[in-house]
Amino acid sequence: MSHGSNEKCEPNFTPLLDLVLQLVMFFMLCANFVMADTGVEIKLPEAVAAKPLDAREDYVYYLNVNEKGQVIFPELARPIGSDGKPIESTDNPAQLLVILRNRANEDRRAAGPGNEDKPLRTLVVLRVHKECPFDKTYGIMKACRSAGYLRVQLRAILHGGDIGS
Amino acid sequence: MPIHKRKHQGADFVEPDLPITPMLDMSFQLLAFFIMTFKPAPTEGQIMLTLPKEEGGGPSIPNPSAPDPPKHYIVRVVATDPGGRIEKMTLIEDGSAATTPKDLMGDIKLYQKELQALDAMLKAEKKPGKLTLELDAKLLQDHVMLLVDTGIRAGFSDISPVPIDKTKR
Repeated sequence: MSHGSNEKCEPNFTPLLDLVLQLVMFFMLCANFVMADTGVEIKLPEAVAAKPLDAREDYVYYLNVNEKGQVIFPELARPIGSDGKPIESTDNPAQLLVILRNRANEDRRAAGPGNEDKPLRTLVVLRVHKECPFDKTYGIMKACRSAGYLRVQLRAILHGGDIGS
Repeated sequence: MPIHKRKHQGADFVEPDLPITPMLDMSFQLLAFFIMTFKPAPTEGQIMLTLPKEEGGGPSIPNPSAPDPPKHYIVRVVATDPGGRIEKMTLIEDGSAATTPKDLMGDIKLYQKELQALDAMLKAEKKPGKLTLELDAKLLQDHVMLLVDTGIRAGFSDISPVPIDKTKR
């Protein structure tokens, strides 16, 4: 560009646009979309021995338990109560037992005739708040056992180092 | 879209002028949105539990053809009230002649050390081990998880948390 010429001086935006689009792509791919089952905000305890969920588990039922011991059902996975309305939460072990029994019956029906005695296909994962007292957690575990679910796991945040020190 | 016509080596050609600026504006807006909504998810994992058997069943009859029954250890944990933290821990072998349980003084490191020693002994004897955690009703989940996690890391795979109060099982 010579001084006094009529040529336009324009900055080259193309590399900048390339960079920005790459950043947009990164954030889009890393975006944490809310999952239907685990979307409830629960502060989980930490554990070193916790293992990621087995990819072969096709049927997983999450029970989100808050610090008061109430089971919170996420908006998209609310069971239907006896009055025909979706249940948002429950702290009643008898009501939870009914919900779990209904689900267990679905599992037994899906297993087909003659397979009712086989272990249920669903794995129950308890997402229990770190400040929930044990008697509440045990009440939920007991309801799972009574409904026929023997495969129950506790969810925790994976921790890399030594905890409790 | 403005089209510039230039003379080039004697022939006419059209140079399209692609407006980059609005595209860049939109990209910046998208970038700002994703940066503001970005929240790295904590990685979650599971710990397998052994659910305790139903209470009230008849006494179990030992099966002579069955392999060695597991050695059963019981850790009883008393929680602080209020607070729900570990206050006192005792360890006893179920069915052993020892009448006084071993006091672990509420120390998680001592608990870990004892479990590691027991696991080493079980491995030497080639016997399976079973750990029952008898927990105070007020003990918080954070501490329950710590006890289960420490037990697994010490080598026990069959861990069952139950309440101290047998009537609540």
